[in-house]
Amino acid sequence: MKRILLSIFGVLAVAIAMLTPAYAQSKGKVYYLVPTLLDEFQTGSVSALELFLKQAGYEMTTLNADNKTDAQQSQMNDVIALKPAAIILAAVDFNALKPSIEAAMAAGIPVVEFDRQITSTPSAFTSVAGTVEIGYVAAEQAQKLLTAKYGSVKGKVLQVLGDPGDPYTLDIQKGFEEKMKAFPDVKIISLPAMQWEASNAGTIVADQMVANPDIDLIFSHAAHLSVAGVASLEAAGKKPGDVMMMSSNGAPVGLDLIRKGWLNVEVEQPLYAQAAAVAMFMDKIVKHEEIKAGEYDVLGLKGVVTIEAWGPNIKVPGAAIDKTNVDNPAFWGNMKAPTGTITPVP
Amino acid sequence: MTTSNRRILEFVLDNLVWFMLLAVLAVFSAFVPNYFQISIFTNIIEASSVLGVMSIGLALVIIAGHMDLSVESVAALSAMVMGIIFCSAGIGIGVQLQPDWLAVPASLALALGVGALIGAFNGYLIVKVKMNAFIVTLASYIWVRGLVLAISGGRSAQDLAPAIRYFGIQRVLGIPLTAWIAILCFVVFSFIMAKTKFGRHLIMIGGNENATFRAGIRVNRILVIAFILAGCIAGLSGWLLAVRTSGATANLGVGLLFNAFAAVVIGGVSLKGGVGALPGVYAGVLLLSAINTAINLMGLPANFTQVIHGLLVLAAVLLDTFKQTIRQRLA
Repeated sequence: MKRILLSIFGVLAVAIAMLTPAYAQSKGKVYYLVPTLLDEFQTGSVSALELFLKQAGYEMTTLNADNKTDAQQSQMNDVIALKPAAIILAAVDFNALKPSIEAAMAAGIPVVEFDRQITSTPSAFTSVAGTVEIGYVAAEQAQKLLTAKYGSVKGKVLQVLGDPGDPYTLDIQKGFEEKMKAFPDVKIISLPAMQWEASNAGTIVADQMVANPDIDLIFSHAAHLSVAGVASLEAAGKKPGDVMMMSSNGAPVGLDLIRKGWLNVEVEQPLYAQAAAVAMFMDKIVKHEEIKAGEYDVLGLKGVVTIEAWGPNIKVPGAAIDKTNVDNPAFWGNMKAPTGTITPVP
Repeated sequence: MTTSNRRILEFVLDNLVWFMLLAVLAVFSAFVPNYFQISIFTNIIEASSVLGVMSIGLALVIIAGHMDLSVESVAALSAMVMGIIFCSAGIGIGVQLQPDWLAVPASLALALGVGALIGAFNGYLIVKVKMNAFIVTLASYIWVRGLVLAISGGRSAQDLAPAIRYFGIQRVLGIPLTAWIAILCFVVFSFIMAKTKFGRHLIMIGGNENATFRAGIRVNRILVIAFILAGCIAGLSGWLLAVRTSGATANLGVGLLFNAFAAVVIGGVSLKGGVGALPGVYAGVLLLSAINTAINLMGLPANFTQVIHGLLVLAAVLLDTFKQTIRQRLA
């Protein structure tokens, strides 16, 4: 009996001794509150943040809110009680999470806004591509495509939004329509695919192609919606190139559609760079040190830090992907994790 | 009231949802620009195929006096399993069978098999272990969707094998094959419910389970079969969903459950069990699809769809109560 107990204690002692250096190497635990995992961008963000934070010396734990605001609020409350080094938040609802962010910051836990900018309350750091800016880039691309077809910016655009309750899609719509307002000869039909569900997008495209057969361009707010749109076009006897298509977020399926000739442009969210920026500044965030405004090299892209009313904010511009650059491994949709390592900002 | 008038009134009451559908189509055709055209009507039928098939399975268990909340997640799981195996892009591994057409029965068997397994699991817990159907199928609704996420890792499978995708593209009389499959399902299951012992027993069980048991009918066996059938049919709707969207995403089919419930109730199936016919359910599905299409064409904010669906369900229940009152007066 004595021997057995001694052996158990011995094994435990060895195990603890092995674990201790691991803890010693870690600079702390960071929680990432992801809005949903039913979306390729979000699942990609988990692995990207994990990869870069590990390089910066942090452990990361992810909590999924399943797109439920109340669930994310509870997660915030739970995580605050655990006193982590930092919380990375991609908010389900931009406004509803405000009190939770304030509670965390008041408890001395820095909150980093990832991908979804919250301007109504200060955060320790914000890393975004800018959803409104994605709309701007999409508008520029739409102008190019329509000009190539007609010689001037005119025609009919079907804009397939995501869920109408999601501020993410509303911001892209805002940016897109703001820039397209300058072209009165462009008619935009905007319809939402409830719950970002692909078959809803398919139905919208099928109906609209019958009611408005002269649609020139279909702009979907996520690549997986474009896939259903393509399925509907195919069912209606259309071939690649018959109707111009464009979508945003840069998911792998979108890049596949570019290679097949269905999609003209995919506006990428620079997922890797957004995640890398968080890791680059994590030491400063955790130590509550000042983050200075300026330009920073983030995985070869130009990230601009500005000091806003809601705190330091880095914006990494989204890129337009078309058939000329679709195979660039820097695009997260190509699913090739960046080989370079990040350097923490001193 | 004369006998012929009474017959006419009873016919109208029995088919009220079809008359509602005709009225709605007439109103939309008159007032919604571009609505009145064959292509829009075929779109309505095509868009109804997934929801229609799913509603059949749900209607069967509701008519039997139970409930199955798992149908939406089962459809998603079937679509995802099929997508992973038969899609060539995304997370699809692109299994190729020789000859190509073998992919069709293989994918169908897979989708139906996934559905049957979960249906059997639900049926066992509800009928044999005597657990509450609402709780068991709610749990399945949650864990099965979780399984979809787990096996897909949140990623999507795209580019379905052309032999399977053929069903989403090919049309007969202007209507896609997926819609013909849904119509065939309604015909077959309407026949089963109206003309076979199984169908009649299912209605009897929903009306009074104890009395049916005392009449010597194997209630448990029929109920387990009903749950397996509901699972299989949900699997088939998942197959149709994958065919329609040429693949599967982790959130595929989200929200279909409540639309299926709405269609079933609008179609005249009583949530208390024992009452309902599948042709009415199909009319309910077409009605919802007709309204969705009108909203798409009018460019109304999508929130209106939910408001209209909700009001429509309420209207259907009110009409049902009204029907019962008239029937009592006629009797």
